[in-house]
Amino acid sequence: MNSLLGGIFLGWSLGANDAANVFGTAVSSRMVKFWTAAILAATFVLVGALVEGQSGIETLQNLTSFTSNQAIVASVAAAVTVTLMTLLGLPVSTSQAVVGAILGVGLLNRQLNFAGLGKVVVCWLGTPVGGIVLTIIVYKLLAAIANSMNLNIFQADILLRLCLIFAGSYGAYALGANNVANVTAVFVGAGMLSVSAAVLIGGLSIGLGILTFSRGVMETVGKKLVRLDPFSALVVVLAQAITVHFYALIGVPVSTSQAVIGAVLGVGIIKGVNTIHRRTLVHIFLAWFITPFVASLFALFLDFAIHLRYIPGH
Amino acid sequence: MFNFLFKKEQQVQELISKYLDNLRAAQEHFEKAMDCYFDFGLGENCDFLIEQTHKFESRADDFRYEIIEMMYSKVLIPESRGDILRLLESIDLIPTHFETVLFMIQGQRLKIPDFITPDLRELMRLSLECGDLVTRQVEAYFKKTENIKPLVETIDSLESRCDHIEREIVRKIFASDLEPFEKMQLKELVINMGEISDQADRVSRSVYIINIKRRV
Repeated sequence: MNSLLGGIFLGWSLGANDAANVFGTAVSSRMVKFWTAAILAATFVLVGALVEGQSGIETLQNLTSFTSNQAIVASVAAAVTVTLMTLLGLPVSTSQAVVGAILGVGLLNRQLNFAGLGKVVVCWLGTPVGGIVLTIIVYKLLAAIANSMNLNIFQADILLRLCLIFAGSYGAYALGANNVANVTAVFVGAGMLSVSAAVLIGGLSIGLGILTFSRGVMETVGKKLVRLDPFSALVVVLAQAITVHFYALIGVPVSTSQAVIGAVLGVGIIKGVNTIHRRTLVHIFLAWFITPFVASLFALFLDFAIHLRYIPGH
Repeated sequence: MFNFLFKKEQQVQELISKYLDNLRAAQEHFEKAMDCYFDFGLGENCDFLIEQTHKFESRADDFRYEIIEMMYSKVLIPESRGDILRLLESIDLIPTHFETVLFMIQGQRLKIPDFITPDLRELMRLSLECGDLVTRQVEAYFKKTENIKPLVETIDSLESRCDHIEREIVRKIFASDLEPFEKMQLKELVINMGEISDQADRVSRSVYIINIKRRV
């Protein structure tokens, strides 16, 4: 169990940070109580992980081969990268940290599945783009439906609230299905866990992060989305969830935050306004390069460190 | 089906309905008080009707505070909450103007000269029509019973007519041989009566903008 701690920590921090992308809007605007959101998010993350988390695990475990020690090195390297970059206020994606760490292990083994890696990188690039495209489609569709319904302000608000709970729950499902691989795939690769045990442990650790530490992040990150009008915020959450779910079906873990940024950009395109600072876009590009690079360096360093031997008399 | 989940929203809706009924009652008593004043001058009957109008104005405040309190107990999303509260504050100025006009007449023992009485009656009639229409418009907004745009246009045109009559009355007052302080008193009364349609127009436009804002 101790050998899984790096992965569990990674899952915990993922839950604590990424739940804001699915329920932040509803919680920070006080439309949904934190505990309602947290329990729904934790439940649906677990369901998503159990039902559709396998394909992501298969993709990541096939990027290289692992020994038990290397699996631990990869998960700790990814966890340290995420923590360090978060503390430094630098952009970070758990998916990219995990792939970077696996890349480091792959370099040590001189064995990398370049086709699999290429697929992962293409999906990273496709995440914000998918967010933009889906937002435009979802916005137009929902706007047409909403405008044809002739609801009064109370009915419209109730419907919006129910939709936000639905979209948040679906987003949590997609998060669990997509991101559980980040948490435990390396242990499956090393033969330390079966796929079903991996999705269960991964789902539970993400859920634990949501239940214990997501409140602050939900309230701060959510407010950035609330600055959009409530309808646009709903579209952003829904488009993000569909994007992340799509990549879960393909079997590639992606960043929910980057899907959200793409979705917010999509709202900007529809409304003809600038919704995202150029700096945020630069941060995405930096995250694509810096996070995997730092994580692979950590993996190399940790592997080197655990192989150091004390030889008396020298 | 899910009504039990949104009890507070239903309670706010009911309170808004009661608030609008109360607004109608305040307007009805204002109209009766003004008719009584025009027909018989100040007296017991008129004082009673002024008191009744004041009572409905105070009750409107109570309803508004009750709605505010309930809204802040997490009813509606913050944006909608803000819109409704601002709208109610704005509507609430209409009965306040009823009260101001009646208290001016009662407190200052105003005597309306015959040469402006027909115009003042017409100003009152049009202002109250604006009041009726704006209450109907607000109700239509909350209940989606009818299209609000034609009502905005009607209120706007009535308000323009009120402005025209208001200017005409003020011109007549200052062209008369009345004492200067009487002229100032009557001018103030006319301006306050004109404020009823002005405020109705402001509310009407707010409702229209809130409605447009919610379209996506």
